[in-house]
Amino acid sequence: MTPPVEGTVAAVLPGGLRDPDAPFVEDRRGLLWLCEREIVRFMKLWMQTLIAPVMSSLLFIVVFGLALGDNIADVDGVPYKQFIVPGLVVQAILTAAYSNNSSTVFQARSDRFLNDVLSSPLRWWEVNIGLAIGGVVRGLLTGILLLILGMAITGVGVQQPLVLIVATVLVLIAFAQLGVIAGIYAKSWDFMAFVTSLVILPLSFLGGIFYSVDRLPAGWEVVSHVNPVFYLVQAFRIGFVGQGDVATWLALLVLLTLAVGLSAWCAWLFKTGHRLKP
Amino acid sequence: MIDAASTSDSGSGFGVAAARPALSVRGFTKTYEGGFTAVDGLDLDIPDGAFFGLLGPNGAGKTTLIGAICNLVRPTAGEIEVFGHAHDAREARRLVGLAEQDINLDRFLTVSEVLIYHAGFFGMGRAHARRRAAELMDVFDLSAKAKVRPTALSGGMRRRLLFARALMHEPRLLILDEPTAGVDVELRSELWEYTRRLHQAGTTILLTTHYLEEAEALCEEIALIRGGRIIARDTADGLRAQYDADDIAGVYLQAMQSDAAAGNAVPA
Repeated sequence: MTPPVEGTVAAVLPGGLRDPDAPFVEDRRGLLWLCEREIVRFMKLWMQTLIAPVMSSLLFIVVFGLALGDNIADVDGVPYKQFIVPGLVVQAILTAAYSNNSSTVFQARSDRFLNDVLSSPLRWWEVNIGLAIGGVVRGLLTGILLLILGMAITGVGVQQPLVLIVATVLVLIAFAQLGVIAGIYAKSWDFMAFVTSLVILPLSFLGGIFYSVDRLPAGWEVVSHVNPVFYLVQAFRIGFVGQGDVATWLALLVLLTLAVGLSAWCAWLFKTGHRLKP
Repeated sequence: MIDAASTSDSGSGFGVAAARPALSVRGFTKTYEGGFTAVDGLDLDIPDGAFFGLLGPNGAGKTTLIGAICNLVRPTAGEIEVFGHAHDAREARRLVGLAEQDINLDRFLTVSEVLIYHAGFFGMGRAHARRRAAELMDVFDLSAKAKVRPTALSGGMRRRLLFARALMHEPRLLILDEPTAGVDVELRSELWEYTRRLHQAGTTILLTTHYLEEAEALCEEIALIRGGRIIARDTADGLRAQYDADDIAGVYLQAMQSDAAAGNAVPA
């Protein structure tokens, strides 16, 4: 019997047994399979995972931007219907990335399907990237759909595309990793709903999506500046309309710090197996 | 009907007899958060090609040991090697197949996808994974359910799928943690037959079970574990002679009672 030629098969001795001394070879990287699985997972639920959040954000644009926007004064020279688009886009992106990954990781832990991944030859960092990629792709698709629709409906443009691209990448990384962390620490679905409804959503709305903090009383302006989502909104607003309430470098620095910090936390969890392996 | 012949070569010249054991455990200790020591300084060697049974009561440390071998439990101390490779090395991981006691199937994928993606995590190419999945679905009588999600399968079918998944990447050491728990007599008989043929083809098998007759019927060698320690180990005949018992159930009861009477407490 002649062994087949493919890498993993070649390590199988005649008779079907693996040669224990053969080097580990991948015909296709396990990382790619895990990434694919995570994307397949949310694409199977595309109405719930893509269309629903886009429609939800679109309703805000239509109601607050188009229906009420004409009665609201321009903000620093930007029509209100365009002013709210960046914040709504970033809110949709971060919510998609976070909720996708927190639910996929928690479900995998709860069903113990995660054992199938952890017992495979995937490296710890491959498992981290693989589990995070679903949220990144889902957040990106949500953002692109909203960007196209927002531009078509409100006429908003992209004044600083490089800032927008960098901010998008950093937001995706930060909240994809935050979702993985939440999925690892969560003990119940209630915890996941708590974080989404009582932490992320309020921080988003208080982060200046619908208003400029310059117009807030002095105390509230300070409060806004300790809200990390405020800087996300500002970075996107600078990317879209070319101006924000803080300097571009500061907004991107906060984003970078979030992305690096949350990635480091996530890396520690996977490298040590903390809360993943007893 | 499960037909192992279509996936194994029934022992025809499977080649290299490795000098190293399939599994080598030295001083394995696991103390969980909170201080519970499930296993304390366990040593165990399982030769390449063996059919090895591990019997013990609930909480004896069987699943903890299996979890550590499969990189799912972090050892507190000790060394575990699979065919000479550190248990957490990629070379070791690809040699081990695990069918867990609990049904832990991916609810978002179909039956065929469950098998294909599992093979993918082990680095298999797509065409090979599809072929292998089709082969195993045929063997385990799951072909008609290829597009169905595991949640829609009967308990017996899920158990078959779990078994098939463990075999997708052609493991050389197959670990079966109570594989026939909750399975009807007919399927149990089929799984026994398939497991025997895998063993005949050279696969090393580590089986834990609460069905003592299952271990007696299948295993070449049996170890009894209590309180995270191996308290007896021999062939079924050897154990019966050693304990002057008619069957493994008698051996089991005597060994557990003797160990308790000797003052060996179960770790707490």
